Amino acid sequence: MTLLDFARGPALAWSLYILFFGSLLRLVGVLLARKHVDLSQPRNADTLGDSVRTVFTRFWFKPEFRASTLFITLIGYAMHIGLAVVVLLFVPHILFISKLSGLSWGGLPNDTIMLAGAITLAALVAMWVRRLQNPLMQAISNWEDHLALFITGLPVLTGMMAYGHLFQDYPTLLAIHILSVELLFVWFPFGKLFHAVMWIPTRFKLGAHFSRRGVKA
Amino acid sequence: MSGLETIPVTVVTDEPLTQTGNMVPILNEIRHALSHPAETGESTTIDLGAIPFGPGEREELLATLGKGEIEATLHALGESLIHETAYPGVWIVTHRSPQGGELTTCIEVTRTPSLLSTPPADVSEAAAALKRYLQDHSARESA
Amino acid sequence: MSDDKTLGERLRESGLSRRGFMKFCAATASMMALPPSMIPAIAAALEKARRPSVIWLSFQECTGYTESLTRSHSPTIESLIFDHISLDYHHTLQAAAGDGAEAARKAAMKENWGKYLLVVDGAIPQKDGRVYSAIAGMTNLEMLKEVAEGAAAVVAVGTCAAYGGLPKASPNPTGATYVSDLITDKPVLNVPSCPPIPVVISGTLAHYLTFGTLPELDHLGRPKAFYGQSIHDRCYRRPFYERGQFAETFDDEGARKGWCLYKLGCKGPVTYNACATTKWNEGTSFPIQSGHGCIGCSEPDFWDKGGFYEALSKGTFSSAEGIALAAGAGAAIGVAAAMGAKSRQTEADAKHKEDPA
Repeated sequence: MTLLDFARGPALAWSLYILFFGSLLRLVGVLLARKHVDLSQPRNADTLGDSVRTVFTRFWFKPEFRASTLFITLIGYAMHIGLAVVVLLFVPHILFISKLSGLSWGGLPNDTIMLAGAITLAALVAMWVRRLQNPLMQAISNWEDHLALFITGLPVLTGMMAYGHLFQDYPTLLAIHILSVELLFVWFPFGKLFHAVMWIPTRFKLGAHFSRRGVKA
Repeated sequence: MSGLETIPVTVVTDEPLTQTGNMVPILNEIRHALSHPAETGESTTIDLGAIPFGPGEREELLATLGKGEIEATLHALGESLIHETAYPGVWIVTHRSPQGGELTTCIEVTRTPSLLSTPPADVSEAAAALKRYLQDHSARESA
Repeated sequence: MSDDKTLGERLRESGLSRRGFMKFCAATASMMALPPSMIPAIAAALEKARRPSVIWLSFQECTGYTESLTRSHSPTIESLIFDHISLDYHHTLQAAAGDGAEAARKAAMKENWGKYLLVVDGAIPQKDGRVYSAIAGMTNLEMLKEVAEGAAAVVAVGTCAAYGGLPKASPNPTGATYVSDLITDKPVLNVPSCPPIPVVISGTLAHYLTFGTLPELDHLGRPKAFYGQSIHDRCYRRPFYERGQFAETFDDEGARKGWCLYKLGCKGPVTYNACATTKWNEGTSFPIQSGHGCIGCSEPDFWDKGGFYEALSKGTFSSAEGIALAAGAGAAIGVAAAMGAKSRQTEADAKHKEDPA
């Protein structure tokens, strides 16, 4: 069995098992967890509207924080949109997703995908440099923040290398690319990358929490 | 009756057929190569068998190069056709087997394709052969 | 049987002119996928080349390799090459049969010990006492070992000999294996494909004949001159792949326009072979040009790498049930953990109410 056969076969199957097992475990575990009992007098009893609103208001910063957050917000968008384009609009990726989900849609030309990949990588590097240099970020970062950036960037980097046949033959690079995606699958449910699923419930919960206390946020 | 033509299938497409886009790079390579024969006497050979072409692309390349003033046929191991294209210094050399199958087609950028000039050993042999003929001839005359 | 004349001497004896010889060298260079600048070197080497003895053994195979070779499209050039090798043993092509054939093999081996070229096509069965294929009372393994011992080099022609091919495909009922798995003390050169392109077989043999050495090989033992680039990298449909234009079925608009066949399972990106440039049937076309994706037949275990019509990026797993099971197990354990946490907290709350201190 070649490295590529291993990556496309058993490694892919097991990484998907772990991805789905871990994701459901974490999602169900968190959502069914007992609600925090707040014995204080609520300033606002009906929090639903504020909760839903918070899910959306967090897409952009408040004008007051412009100076400190504009850069990272733009970089964040560049990274996320770039990654979404690469993952969801590269035709071989669509074929993979359609095998899992039965859904299918049109893709983009490869040079567009490569541009999106380059933007994604550049943004990830910018985020990492900021995390290393900014004193506040240094203080609140742990090893997992660095790992999450690395695990996200690796499939993009290896995918682009495979496309360009850099340093190695294509089958080997393709195998490394698939293995790096499998590493992402395995790590995804258990680390901070799970925010890709949890961002809606967490913003909703935060909105409810603030609303109950009468905080406008 | 083979009947292939009676099968009512026609390919309808208004788009041009698949193109690799290899024609323009080859023409550029030829253009670069053309500076060599004049300056250094160095010739360049491009084996068309090693280049991927879409349907009709090779024909298009050859048609673009066109035909020039000289055409020659070599009769050895089947026919080989050597002709200069409309661009002087650019030659097409096609080797065929005795059965007529194409063996190779090359573009040669040179002042004279090597196959056209006589091998030196053949020249010496020719001199010897002619000398033999004349000796025989004069022997017959004097007899 | 071999003799002492060089190829140059033989060709001149047959009345070939010097220009004819240069033409022969040009065709040979093209066949060996060497650049035209190598023609003078090839001419010099061929002038001095001596006639090697070749013993060709066929094991678990379909004779497709021999069919391919004998239908090669430049018979003159190749017949000159083959006139110049001494094919002393070949089941399908030899006139001799039975004891006479075996005697010819033994005689050729004895006369050219240490110098002959062994060509093998077909896989070698290893299961059940190796009973599944035998010739003249010898198992394939016995014959392979016996002949390989005195060979200068071994050429495994076809995917069966090179990597096991169809006989080795799962579940491999005969325990088939390949030449380089069994012969480790001789140089083994692989010329895989099902079947190999005739020009690739003769080009490889021509290289040995011309230079007396094996050509440069890749990590799977294949001559780099022919297997150095993937089908995808040299495919004339590659621009459609780049532009994201794919045939979705074999009879749709995209298929008619000659768009990329990746979605229909083409294995061109991970298959290394010369089809896209050398082509088949006198250079007429190759599978992709005829509208069918590459099935990857020059790669090890190509038969067991997932469906021929499944896109490469889909992977080879078929684990819908497995994923459902994993997701179900995750959800169940998640529910259990949440319930457990809840009941512990409820207990703690109750205790707290009883004894707030």
